Amino acid sequence: MNRSQANSVFSSNVVPIPTASARLMVCEPNHDWRYAVINRLEQLVQLDRGWDGYNGQPVSFENAAFALRMLEAVCSPDADPPQLVPGSSGDLQIEWHTFKGDIELHVLAPNRVHAWRQLVGGDEDGDSLDLTIDFGSVAIWVRETTEPNLAAAPAAA
Amino acid sequence: MPRPDDLPDFGKPPLNEVVLGVQFSPPKGYQQVRVGDVWKLFKADYPLVQEHQALEPAFETFGLPRHAQIGGRLSFVSGAMHDRFWFLRSTGDELIQFQQDRLLHNWRKVGDQTNEYPRFEQMAARFKEELQQLESFLVGLSPQVLVINQCELSYINHIEIGDEPVDPAVWFRGVSLAGVKTEDFNIGIREVIRDNGHPVGRLIYEIATGVRDAKRVLVFNLTARGAPSASDIDSAMQFVAKGRELIVRRFAEITTEGAHKVWERRT
Repeated sequence: MNRSQANSVFSSNVVPIPTASARLMVCEPNHDWRYAVINRLEQLVQLDRGWDGYNGQPVSFENAAFALRMLEAVCSPDADPPQLVPGSSGDLQIEWHTFKGDIELHVLAPNRVHAWRQLVGGDEDGDSLDLTIDFGSVAIWVRETTEPNLAAAPAAA
Repeated sequence: MPRPDDLPDFGKPPLNEVVLGVQFSPPKGYQQVRVGDVWKLFKADYPLVQEHQALEPAFETFGLPRHAQIGGRLSFVSGAMHDRFWFLRSTGDELIQFQQDRLLHNWRKVGDQTNEYPRFEQMAARFKEELQQLESFLVGLSPQVLVINQCELSYINHIEIGDEPVDPAVWFRGVSLAGVKTEDFNIGIREVIRDNGHPVGRLIYEIATGVRDAKRVLVFNLTARGAPSASDIDSAMQFVAKGRELIVRRFAEITTEGAHKVWERRT
């Protein structure tokens, strides 16, 4: 049985009967980008105070945890890992820069994300969204901006 | 917060435990050395204390369809770790859980399992008071309010099933494993909770066989978790109330009429 989602404390006197599983289960989804992102988040939450030469704070644990959950909602398993850039107030910015355009997700706090995208040849100001927990629009942006242009491949060949 | 008239009601529900909780941004000025001051807020009714490992942050987010993941865990840690504290009633039937970013209130059946559930309305009113007490304390540390980012409500049911192979169809509608003499099973389901069409959280169903006091039981957990419409206490309580209504309705919808007879359904 996976770890229960209920924060039960008393019902721990129930011993779960392990269901015989013929396959090895892992709790976490296997995303290549995930390893790179978690390693980078580990670095960012352990930054020293004043890391920027001023009074910069490390990325807060809650912002890092939220960013990871947000990326799980945004990135397909084979998505390109984004760049993670610390802010000076415990916030962080998540960025993709490709030949198709740029995406920046500024995690100000859990449930407070400013998203921006600019496509090459597109509107000068780009597109902006203020988001909370629904990142469906950004998932489309990431797919459009980071996936290889398969339609163009045969023509190039 | 009155009980909706049309909400299903049971005389003898298999309810074993109820948990109300919120997660918030770590308050400014709070350090673990101040946990004794937090305990003082509740100590008159909760005179016992225990230390436990902190719960990890939990967020429900939406976008791409999720990939076979229930509660994936973070493996990184940051600097000093804070503990989770249990403040317990001497009767053992209720406790408050506190850590730097969480407050939860648990009720359970104890002893011969006959202690009466105080009902959701009463539990919710007390939990709201506890949140207000905590917020008032935190204001003394720094001008601030609680910034609540997730809420949760769990109903944990224990259904006694005896020693024979269990037929899930006896208890749950549409779970028919014709001919299979089920020794044990484990089911997990997640449903998106929406408000005006927008996702705001998830209802998580967990059903598994277990053993309690040498008796076989089906543990049936229903957890509603998600983001409140705003970060204040009133909005959090609205989410919890909506979660309660959803949990009770779904409980009645997915369990069988035979089960309802055992649990003495009234409405």
